[in-house]
Amino acid sequence: MAFQNTKCECGHQNALGTVLCEHCGKPLTEENSSTEILEMRYDGVARKSQKANPGIIDRVWNFFSSVKIAVILIVITLIGASLGTIYPQESQFINLDASIYYKETYGTLGHIYYLLGLSHTYESWWFILLLVMIGASLVICSLDRVLPLYRALHKQKVRKHDQFLKRQRVVVDADLPEGIAGQEALEQIGSALKKKRYRLIAEDGALMAEKNRFSRWGPYINHIGLIIFLLAVLARSIPGWHMEYYAAFPQGTPQPIPDTSYYLQNDKFTVEYYSDEEMPEQFVEEGRIMPKLFETKATLFRCTADCDDPVKEPTLVEVAKHDIRVNDPLEYDGLMVYQYDFDLTPKLVAVKPVLKDASSGEVLGSFEVQMSNTASTYEIGPYTLELKEKYLDFTLDENGEPRTQSPEPNAPAFVFLVRGPGLEAHGEPYMYFPLQKDKLRFKENVLNKDIMQHIIIDVESMNDVTISDSKSYLNVRKDTALPWIWVGAAISMIGLVMGFYWQHRRMWLKLDGNHLVLGAHTNKNWYGLRHEVARVLQEISMEVDSKAIDRGGNKA
Amino acid sequence: MNWLAFSQDSYLVAFFLFCIGFISFVFTVAGRKMKTKDPAAHEQKWGRISFSIALLGFVAQLAYFITRWIGGGHIPVSNMYEFMSFLAMMIIGAYIVIFFIYRSYVMGVFALPLAVLIMAYASVFPSEVQPLIPQLDSIWLKIHVTLAAAGEAFFAIGFVAGLMYLIRTVQWDNSSAKRAQRSLEVIMVLIMIIVGFVAVVFGYRSADYEVAIDQRLETVDNQGQINSTIETIMYKMPPLIAPYQGEVKEDQKLLGIKLPLLEAPKWMEGAQAGRKLNTVAWSILSGLLLYGIVRLIIRKPIARALQPLLSGLDPEDLDEISYRANAIGFPVFTLGGLIFAMIWAQIAWSRFWAWDPKEVWALITWLFYSAYLHLRLSRGYIGAKSSWLSVIGFIIVMFTLLGVNLIISGLHSYAGV
Repeated sequence: MAFQNTKCECGHQNALGTVLCEHCGKPLTEENSSTEILEMRYDGVARKSQKANPGIIDRVWNFFSSVKIAVILIVITLIGASLGTIYPQESQFINLDASIYYKETYGTLGHIYYLLGLSHTYESWWFILLLVMIGASLVICSLDRVLPLYRALHKQKVRKHDQFLKRQRVVVDADLPEGIAGQEALEQIGSALKKKRYRLIAEDGALMAEKNRFSRWGPYINHIGLIIFLLAVLARSIPGWHMEYYAAFPQGTPQPIPDTSYYLQNDKFTVEYYSDEEMPEQFVEEGRIMPKLFETKATLFRCTADCDDPVKEPTLVEVAKHDIRVNDPLEYDGLMVYQYDFDLTPKLVAVKPVLKDASSGEVLGSFEVQMSNTASTYEIGPYTLELKEKYLDFTLDENGEPRTQSPEPNAPAFVFLVRGPGLEAHGEPYMYFPLQKDKLRFKENVLNKDIMQHIIIDVESMNDVTISDSKSYLNVRKDTALPWIWVGAAISMIGLVMGFYWQHRRMWLKLDGNHLVLGAHTNKNWYGLRHEVARVLQEISMEVDSKAIDRGGNKA
Repeated sequence: MNWLAFSQDSYLVAFFLFCIGFISFVFTVAGRKMKTKDPAAHEQKWGRISFSIALLGFVAQLAYFITRWIGGGHIPVSNMYEFMSFLAMMIIGAYIVIFFIYRSYVMGVFALPLAVLIMAYASVFPSEVQPLIPQLDSIWLKIHVTLAAAGEAFFAIGFVAGLMYLIRTVQWDNSSAKRAQRSLEVIMVLIMIIVGFVAVVFGYRSADYEVAIDQRLETVDNQGQINSTIETIMYKMPPLIAPYQGEVKEDQKLLGIKLPLLEAPKWMEGAQAGRKLNTVAWSILSGLLLYGIVRLIIRKPIARALQPLLSGLDPEDLDEISYRANAIGFPVFTLGGLIFAMIWAQIAWSRFWAWDPKEVWALITWLFYSAYLHLRLSRGYIGAKSSWLSVIGFIIVMFTLLGVNLIISGLHSYAGV
């Protein structure tokens, strides 16, 4: 490394890596004769990442402190994110066998997509790593710059080196107009600047004006907001901070919400459609149906006792009531319940069959079989029924084995092991189909040929069948980190507005007899700055072309 | 008074005012070359006239917007027609804002035709007022959609200024600038394709063209059974490409050739995929045809023919305006397109972020513009490089708005038609 003299001619000892003297602003690294525009970032103060002889930690710091690296990370992330939108993501389906789905739906390309792991792009390690690296870059880039910037702006000297002034992007280097004295000119310019809300510091024959310094902190505040946002997203993986439960709620019965002490009851579900008069003619012709309202009148209960006791009924206390609509969830103590879907087809809730003696036809007793939370044993007269198997949507697979096609009670079937008089001691199986159509379809009387000589299980009338009117599918959520998401977003937004809608402007003026040297700097919007300079100088009848004083841009 | 009828009239008035304004702007910048007497005065005078026409057009479109809101009972940003019209209005709005900052008329020469094109594109979609579905019935519809469109409108002005910079500065007599020349001409072709698309849709629509195509769809339900259904798809332009497993009911011919020429591949799922692909094919063909005709007439690249028109402009100003417009748009887009979008998603869909394609593309837009803004900080990323980024950025914006709905779809699909 070449030897670098960091002591300025004004006597100030600067840190290694300093570009412009922290005291007088004189360029330290270049030839005196250069007239190029100065690199004014952080006013030339040395950053931590510019340390000599970096160790490992310094190297990591240097890597992440680079804006170039940040931009590369952003670009890789955006390309990666776009790959995830080629085909639908796995997370958009409930119960999906991804290894088959992509091949069947999208052919070989789809299978390659799946094998590459792009069907879950946003959960893949490399994508999360990219987000973490962006987070690291946000922290380190900001720290590496905000401290030097603060140092540079905290103590500014009014009188700057001539080279510092003349090598700004906006420069006025001219004699004052006739008939105005130097000090008078400075005062007039000063009062004009004051009207434009500049803060002034005057020294003998020199003036510094500055405004909107706060806008310089905008990017850092924005970055703090983004970090809070990213941390809040990560915090959702803390156990208990994030809960999601999706289920059908049949009308009229409270259902427990797993992992909470809450029960939710769908009191009434309503769906309304737009009438023909309310829709455009074309839609009516096409026979389109448009929903107007989905609403679940819901009651939330808290279980206070006997919650996990399978025998006793739980004690429920009502805590909230709300009409849940699509854009209007129920909210109670961090728990949120959303309208998600609905099903209007009537569903079997329970049947109450009787047990008859096959030969005499005598009714020995009745028992209620619930479709969900079915009891495991029933005692009817001298007989004991033990539930062995339950198929809510009974079917036989290709091997002839019984299985259920869905969790919906479309074709329920129950296998009971029955013990009692006339039956074998270890019990005999009875396969019970509550619905008449299934009895015929699956030949109940053939399956139960032997046992039906002793007993028959059957429903006497439709009064013994409980059917729900409709079901509402609701989504229950708990998201403890959510407030922090919004806090992060709000802070980030404040930072953006500060940084983009205000600009930090500074002007340095220096008088040498009748000769004025003005240098001006801003971080954005040079157009505004040079016009402001031109307008201020008009106060002392000094006409400058706002275009000509701006030495920046690409003069091609 | 019938609000909706008045609203439709205002829309037409706005459309024609923007067309006239465009012609007037062309005269403003071109006339400066023709009249040698006092070019500055000419520009000043005609610039003011053109700007007034644009302003009037903006007022007319605002009248359309307000009366449609009153007549329809909800804010008119709930479907593609309404949204694209609103975007066009916001682009003119952004142009007006930028005008008051920079007092530069000439941006109108590109901003107005962009608005005209977007309005014409909007008219491709059904324009009847539709009732709101429950998902859209929220105050956030107003806030999220309008603010996102406002941000995107500033990106559009950034694009306009960037494109003008490129046309103004690309060197045609320098053989080392071949890449820049070619890339710029590709953008011109792209614009021609969009013009071609709008022209074809309008042409066949005014001829009331319609043909039914039966498509056999096979879906595997969750029980593993294959369900075969026949869906009828209405083509509004001749079927160059039929949907996958589609059958045209009546024989169709174009210039004596029997249609369809091709069938869409299997992986183009969705009932409308074939129809959309057919539309894309039509747009590209007509766009290339249009481009060919223009090239035959002017006998040089379009960008080269446009260059003299812009020769009086200061490239540095264009660069500055482009950056400024993007910088103004960025916070607006962040708030409207991401933050408010997340709040609404949390209320309506129970989660603020679900990697839905529309969300991902909004994020991609945001990441792209943040990369752009960071690059602007470093030296060298001004002028041509920065202008190219503005152009690409706006292409990403348009893909997010249209491409995602037309090609990828997802939860925002109801915004389609």
